[in-house]
Amino acid sequence: MAKIAVVTDSNAGITQNDAKNLGISVIPMPFMFGDSDETYYEDINLTREEFFQRLGDGQVVHSSQPSPVEVLKVWDKLLEDGYDEIVHIPMSSGLSGSCQSAMMLSSDYDGRVQVVNNQRISVTQKRSAQDALELAAKGWSAKQIKDKLEEVKFDSSIYIMLNTLVYLKRGGRITPAAAAIGSLLKLKPVLQIKGEKLDAFSKARTVQQGKNTMITAMKNDIEKLYGGIANDPVYLYAVHAQCQDEFNVWKQEVIAAFPNIHVEEGQLSLSISCHTGPGALAIACSRKLEELR
Amino acid sequence: MSATTINSNLLRQMFLTGAANLEANKAWINELNVFPVPDGDTGTNMTMTVVSAVREVTDLGDTDDMRAICKAISSGSLRGARGNSGVILSQLFRGFCKIVRDQKEIDVPLCANAFDKAVETAYKAVMKPKEGTILTVAKGAAEKARELADGGTTDFDEFIPAVIEYADTVLASTPDLLPVLKQAGVVDSGGQGLVQVLKGAYEGYQGKTVDVERLLHPGVAGEAARETEEEEKPTYKFAYETEYMIILDTPMNKKVEDDYRKFLSTYGEDITLLVQPKAIKLHMCTNDPGMVIQKGLQYGQVRQMRVDNLNLKNDPIPEFTTSETEADPAEPTDGETKDPAAAETPHKELGIIAVCAGDGLAEIFKGLGVDVVISGGQTMNPSTADILDAVEKVNADTIFVLPNNKNIILAANQAAAMDGEKKIIVIPTKNVPQGITAVINFMPDLDADANRDNMTEEIGHVKSAEITYAVRDTVIDDVEIREGNMMAIGDAGILGVGDDMNETAAAALEKMIDESTELVSVYYGADITEDDANKLRDKITAAHPACEVDVQNGGQPVYYYILSAE
Repeated sequence: MAKIAVVTDSNAGITQNDAKNLGISVIPMPFMFGDSDETYYEDINLTREEFFQRLGDGQVVHSSQPSPVEVLKVWDKLLEDGYDEIVHIPMSSGLSGSCQSAMMLSSDYDGRVQVVNNQRISVTQKRSAQDALELAAKGWSAKQIKDKLEEVKFDSSIYIMLNTLVYLKRGGRITPAAAAIGSLLKLKPVLQIKGEKLDAFSKARTVQQGKNTMITAMKNDIEKLYGGIANDPVYLYAVHAQCQDEFNVWKQEVIAAFPNIHVEEGQLSLSISCHTGPGALAIACSRKLEELR
Repeated sequence: MSATTINSNLLRQMFLTGAANLEANKAWINELNVFPVPDGDTGTNMTMTVVSAVREVTDLGDTDDMRAICKAISSGSLRGARGNSGVILSQLFRGFCKIVRDQKEIDVPLCANAFDKAVETAYKAVMKPKEGTILTVAKGAAEKARELADGGTTDFDEFIPAVIEYADTVLASTPDLLPVLKQAGVVDSGGQGLVQVLKGAYEGYQGKTVDVERLLHPGVAGEAARETEEEEKPTYKFAYETEYMIILDTPMNKKVEDDYRKFLSTYGEDITLLVQPKAIKLHMCTNDPGMVIQKGLQYGQVRQMRVDNLNLKNDPIPEFTTSETEADPAEPTDGETKDPAAAETPHKELGIIAVCAGDGLAEIFKGLGVDVVISGGQTMNPSTADILDAVEKVNADTIFVLPNNKNIILAANQAAAMDGEKKIIVIPTKNVPQGITAVINFMPDLDADANRDNMTEEIGHVKSAEITYAVRDTVIDDVEIREGNMMAIGDAGILGVGDDMNETAAAALEKMIDESTELVSVYYGADITEDDANKLRDKITAAHPACEVDVQNGGQPVYYYILSAE
C-alpha cells in the first residue's frame, strides 16, 4: 500500500498544532497589511487576534497565494521523508489562484502529487483533508482520492451572515454580492459559498432573521440535496469570525435546529474573514462520503 | 303591476339600477367603516367592482341574450373586484348568473335557486367566512327567497320587497354578530352595500331607468373630479401610444433628424424623441402606428416596441375570460398580448409583485428585488384585473403577490384562482412591514413552496403599527376616538390615541418593543418632514439605546407613520 501524505493550506482552518495531531501538512497563507511590504503567515507569525486587530484598525488586508517555493519545499520534504504520493487540497480555485499554481507545479512530479480542485474553503476544506486521510488509510491511491473528492465537490454548502457591509465594500472584491444587496434599508446580507462562488444568497433585517434564513437554507439543502435530515447525511458546522459570545448562542441554536446531527464548531478562515469582517456567523455542511460511512 | 317572470332586458335594467343605487350611496357606505380611517373604503370598492361590470354590460349593446348579459355581469365584476366586499359582491353575482344564464326568463323559484348559488359561491371564496358581514346579509336574503318560493309565492311584486325587507332586518342585526360593529355604532358596510344594490334593482324592476354614461363617467355629470383613471375615461384624439427604440445603422445627422421629426409631427402628437449616436428612442401618440414604425425601419433595427390603444386602456382585454364555465372557446381572441417589457427581461422561476402607495415605499420594494410594484393600498385598492396585469409583466413561472393590506388580500387570492399560464402565490401580508419582511426573506435559489412557507412564517414575526387620523368619532376596542385624533392601529387593533403624531407613534412603539427587539423601522409619510421623523427616532433611541432605528422616507398618503419592530 502506497504511503500517502495529505497537504492543505491554512484556509482549511487547521492550526499548525492540529495539523501535527491529524497528520496533515498545512501551508500557511501569506497576508500583507496596508502599504507595508512585510508578509505575515497565518498561524506562524500572525494570530487571529492580531489579524482582526489590524482589520478593525482599518488597515487594508491583502491576501496572497503561498509562494511556489514554499509549496515545493513541503512536497519535496514529504517525498524525502518516505511518502510515495501526495494529495494536495488548496483553497477554492474560485477564490484564489493557489490551485492553478499548484496544478502547474505538480506536473513535474509524474503523478505523485495530485492537486484536488474541489472548490472548498474553511471547514469544508478541512473536511476534504480529513476525508483524504481516511480514504488513504483504506488503501486508495492519490489519484483515486483526487477523483473522488472532485466528483463530490458540490456536496457542501456554506451560508454566512455578515454583521456589517463595511468590509465587503472595502475589499471591493465581491462585487456581485455587494451589488445585489445595494438597498436603501439597513440589511444584514447572507452570503453563500457553493462551488467556486461567494455570492449574495438572501438578506435579513435583524440578526435573528439572518440566523433563521441560514437555518432554513441549510435544512433545504440537506433535505433536497444531501439525502434528508433523518439519515444524518452530513458533517455540520457552526462557524464564526471573531465573535465568541454571539457564537455560543448561535451554536446552541444550530444544535436545536438539527437535533439528529452532530454539530462541530469552526472559525471562518482569515481569507474569508477579511471580506466579512468580525461578527460574521455561518453554518456549513459537507456531505459524508458513502465510502466512509 | 304584477309579474311572474323577469326577462333578460329587465334583468339588465335591474342590474344597472342596482349599480346606480350603490354608486349613489357610496359616500354614505364609506362612512360605515369601523376604523375611522380614510382608507379601503367599502362603498368605493363595491362601486368600482360593479361599475366594471356595468361597462361590460353596456359594451354588449342592445342584446336580449341572457347568456351574454350574465357573462358580462359575472366577468366584469370579477375583473373589477376591489377590496373584500367587492370580491364577495363579485362572487355573489357570479353564483347568481350561473343559475339564470341558461334561461330565457327568471321566475321566483329560479330566483331563489340563484340566490342560493350566489351565497354558496361567495362563502367558498372566503377562507374564513365571518358572520355579521355582507355574507350574512346575502345568506338572509337567500333564506327569505327560499321561504317565499317554497311557500308558493310567484309574484315578483310580492317577492322582491319581502326579500329586501328581510335583508334590511339582517343588516340591522349585524352589530349583534360582530362586537366591533356594535362598539362603533354602525352596521356592516358591505352588507349595506348589498342592500343598496337590491333596492336599486327593485327600482329598475318598477321601471326606473338610469343614465349609464353618468355612472361610467361620474365626473362629466358635474360631480367632484375623481382622481382615479378607472372612473375617468377621456377620449384621445390620437389613440395609439407608440414607443420604440432604433439601433441606428449610421448616426442620425441634423438634417435626417429634422426630416424624421417633421414626418412624425404629421402623424400625431406628444412626440418625445431622444437621439443618440448609436440609437434613438421615440414615444408618441398617433392614429397610424404602422407608418410611424415603417419610417423608423429606414434608420435601423427596431427594438423594444410597444403600441397600445389609450382609449381602450381601461377596458378589459377579451382573452381574460375567467374560469371553466365562463370561457367560451368560440369567442375570438385577438392573439397574444404579452407585454413586450416582460419579453425583454430574462425569464426566471420566481418573481414578486408588491402593492404599496408612496414613491419611497415603491423604491424600497424595488431595491429589495420586487419585479413590479402596483400603486395602491391605503387610498385605492387595486382590482383583481390590476393584479393580473402586473402578473403579465413579470417574466417568471411562479409569481408571489404581496398585497400589503388586509383589504387587498382577497382580490389577490381571486387573481390567483383565475386560470393562467403563470402560477400566482399570495403571501397574505396585511401591511407594509409584513411585505418588506416577506421580500427580505425571499430566497431566489429556493423553490416556490419553500419560499411560500418561509415568507408566510416570517411575516408573523414582525410587529407593526400605522399612525393616522380619525375621520369621525367612534369607539373601538373600548377606546374612545374623536374626529381628528391621531390613532395608532396595530396588528390586533388600536394601540393608542393621542393629539400629537410623534407622541402617539412613540407610545405605540412602547407597546411593540420588547427585550428581543433589535430593529425599529420608521417609514414616514408624505405629510411628515424628515425632521419630524428624526425627532421620533431620537425619542425611541433615548428610551431604547439597544435598539437600532432605521428611518426611511415612505412617501405614503394617509398614514403619517408606518412602524415596525422586529
